Amino acid sequence: MTDTTQIIAGLTSLVDPGRVLTDADSLKHYGCDWTKKYEIKPLAIVLPKTVEQVQAIVRFANEHKLGLVPSGGRTGLSAAAVATNDEVVVAFDLMNKVLDFNPTDRTARCQAGVVTEQLQQFAEDKGLYYPVDFASAGSSQLGGNISTNAGGIKVIRYGMTRDWVAGLKVVTGKGDVLDLNADLIKNATGYDFRHLFIGAEGTLGFIVEATMKLARAPKNLTVMVLGVPEFRAIMQVLNAFQSKIDLTAFEFFSEKAVQLVTAHHNVPRPFDTATPYYALLEFEAVSDSVMDEAMALFEACVENGWASDGVISQSESQAAALWRLREGISETLAPFIPYKNDISVVVSKVPDFLEDIDAIVGSQYPDFEIVWFGHIGDGNLHLNILKPQSLAKEEFFKRCETVNTQVFETVQKYNGSVSAEHGVGLTKKPYLHYTRSAAEIAYMKAVKQAFDPNNVMNPGKVFDL
Amino acid sequence: MKVLVAVKRVVDANVKVRVAADNRGVDLTNVKMAMNPFCEIAVEEAVRLKEKGVATEILVVAVGPKEAQEQIRTALALGADRGILVEAADAQPLAIAKILKAIVDQEKPGLVITGKQSIDGDNNQVGQMLAALTGMGQGTFASEVNVADGKVKVTREIDGGLQTVELKLPALVSTDLRLNEPRYASLPNIMKAKKKPLDIKAPADFGVDVAPRVKTVKVEAPAARKAGIKVKTVEELVAKLKNEAKVIQ
Ligand SMILES: Cc1cc2nc3c(=O)[nH]c(=O)nc-3n(C[C@H](O)[C@H](O)[C@H](O)COP(=O)(O)OP(=O)(O)OC[C@H]3O[C@@H](n4cnc5c(N)ncnc54)[C@H](O)[C@@H]3O)c2cc1C
Ligand SMILES: Cc1cc2nc3c(=O)[nH]c(=O)nc-3n(C[C@H](O)[C@H](O)[C@H](O)COP(=O)(O)OP(=O)(O)OC[C@H]3O[C@@H](n4cnc5c(N)ncnc54)[C@H](O)[C@@H]3O)c2cc1C
Repeated sequence: MTDTTQIIAGLTSLVDPGRVLTDADSLKHYGCDWTKKYEIKPLAIVLPKTVEQVQAIVRFANEHKLGLVPSGGRTGLSAAAVATNDEVVVAFDLMNKVLDFNPTDRTARCQAGVVTEQLQQFAEDKGLYYPVDFASAGSSQLGGNISTNAGGIKVIRYGMTRDWVAGLKVVTGKGDVLDLNADLIKNATGYDFRHLFIGAEGTLGFIVEATMKLARAPKNLTVMVLGVPEFRAIMQVLNAFQSKIDLTAFEFFSEKAVQLVTAHHNVPRPFDTATPYYALLEFEAVSDSVMDEAMALFEACVENGWASDGVISQSESQAAALWRLREGISETLAPFIPYKNDISVVVSKVPDFLEDIDAIVGSQYPDFEIVWFGHIGDGNLHLNILKPQSLAKEEFFKRCETVNTQVFETVQKYNGSVSAEHGVGLTKKPYLHYTRSAAEIAYMKAVKQAFDPNNVMNPGKVFDL
Repeated sequence: MKVLVAVKRVVDANVKVRVAADNRGVDLTNVKMAMNPFCEIAVEEAVRLKEKGVATEILVVAVGPKEAQEQIRTALALGADRGILVEAADAQPLAIAKILKAIVDQEKPGLVITGKQSIDGDNNQVGQMLAALTGMGQGTFASEVNVADGKVKVTREIDGGLQTVELKLPALVSTDLRLNEPRYASLPNIMKAKKKPLDIKAPADFGVDVAPRVKTVKVEAPAARKAGIKVKTVEELVAKLKNEAKVIQ
């Protein structure tokens, strides 16, 4: 490698003045995502402003054998936007404009650095709706969302980020600019590379622009929170409601989660009696008949013993307050340094799967406290193990590593995924083979080779070459 | 003791309202409506009085469009016993107070609780007008309410502190934000509330003329905030605060 000063001088000549940062604060700030678990060691931070600048950076990296780490809002939970090995971090903060809006196509063409919430707001101003949403939407960027195929709380109705990408402009690891799909709905002309870049965690190239689809705005979103006496009943509630009503969300959380959230935030309990589990349902209450249907379904759930109590929002403020019970969980758990897993199985297998996991953790780690929550309508569970006060952080994580193996063996048994929506990055890299076969991983490497022959794009993430 | 609670149907507090094209009001098409937040607090307070055994019956009254039945049903689900809707869209505070006075005369409640204001017109008038019309004592902006021995002690939120007044019953209390935290309507109670009595009346039943007395001349959106600027140095910031914003000397 050429010497560092030369590299920095070279990079500086490629972007606007002052857009290469090497001070300690910036390296620390831009060098890692939400995981904060790895030792950070970026060479420099570069903030391009145009597609041409991104392309120049990629070409420069190929020439000088530099690693590049694409960086969005750095809210990722898999240590994919992390520089540990003298890579150059390429951050998209300056490419944050919505470039175009097309009301007929119902699309917005955005630069990669547009913040998720910014697009949500933009859509709202146009009387439309961008439905991908989660607790970090105020910081995460479209480039990061697309690169992790982010999901969130509305997947049951609206799908993943993948479903909202009409077209992409990318700079490949080779330095070519490609326009993928040209925003077409129908395009039967061979391989759709758009879908390779979605979820690639920055290993194939940079996303520089994305045309995002927008939906019509939902009407009168109404939230129910039901008390559910046992886990299996949550799935019965889900089945009952889904067969009659188009739910826009179906989340679950445990009593432990409610206790923590209500203690840490100014959020009231949904109702006084504690139940082991809670289901949060959201739907569009567009007419009295939908409301009547929902009430009848609740009655049926009570009669069957699947629900013991429940509340329903009477205003948007109440809907928002009920959502905080779910959305506040991640933040509330953070001080406990939880050990997190983001796993999924097909919806029908969730109850058996969860029972298996509970048995493993319960029998072998009885001193660990578990908080379950997740997007259960999509088969996605967030397993959170809280660090016992008495245990040192290192010791705790070491013991969790052994939990991991057992949890992932169970995931494999159920043909599930070791990462439902957070990505592989560094944290799940050792476990990729529990979900993907050796042959599949070999094909992934071949694809990577085609787009990024010199391995400049996010080297060492997802798999080792 | 019977408690009468007045509730109003208003634009949901979370909705960003837009001025109507004719500048005569706000655009209400397809806008989410809900119970006025201060009225929610009034209902909650009445329910707590009932739970304490102080109140024996809670009557909710709404003056509003026929859809205001939804808000009465909500109040019934929260614990009120029966409701009266007086159908009159866009009634102004004085007309509402007159209708409520007629109902107070008929029902003879020991306590009337209203919100301190409704978040649509922000008038802060109905409670006071009603107290004047009925001759009841008034404890407005309540942050604490205690009923005992034929009297109600009301802690009021006033500029710079709290004031406690004691009123002879029957009396009128208007609620402030900190009085209580309203509960959610539970689904089983919503179902039970469907069977509770709800009478529908017209202003004429009470001999009240609801023709508007106040004319809205114009409704305008607040001026858009000016874009911010970046300053380069602390000195520049101080200079701007002194000379342009004139917020420091
Ligand atoms: C409180 C909290 C709640 C969360 N909830 C959810 C949830 O419900 N569902 C969910 O899916 N996720 C969730 N996440 C995870 C995270 O917010 C999402 O994965 C998000 O999409 C990451 O976006 P980001 O811009 O922060 O990406 P970053 O963390 O910056 O990067 C993520 C990946 O994308 C790559 N990348 C970023 N920008 C580009 C680009 N322009 N071109 C190529 N590659 C790029 C990075 O290299 C990295 O591999 C949550 C996170 C937090 C902190
Ligand atoms: C009257 C008529 C109306 C039509 N309308 C439409 C329409 O509205 N929309 C539309 O999309 N298409 C339409 N088509 C085109 C066609 O019917 C579709 O493309 C259909 O999906 C082709 O299916 P097939 O089984 O006939 O494929 P084939 O014609 O047999 O093959 C199509 C391609 O698939 C490959 N292939 C077939 N089987 C396999 C396999 N098992 N594994 C791998 N590759 C395979 C073939 O090699 C070939 O490349 C229409 C055709 C006709 C005749």
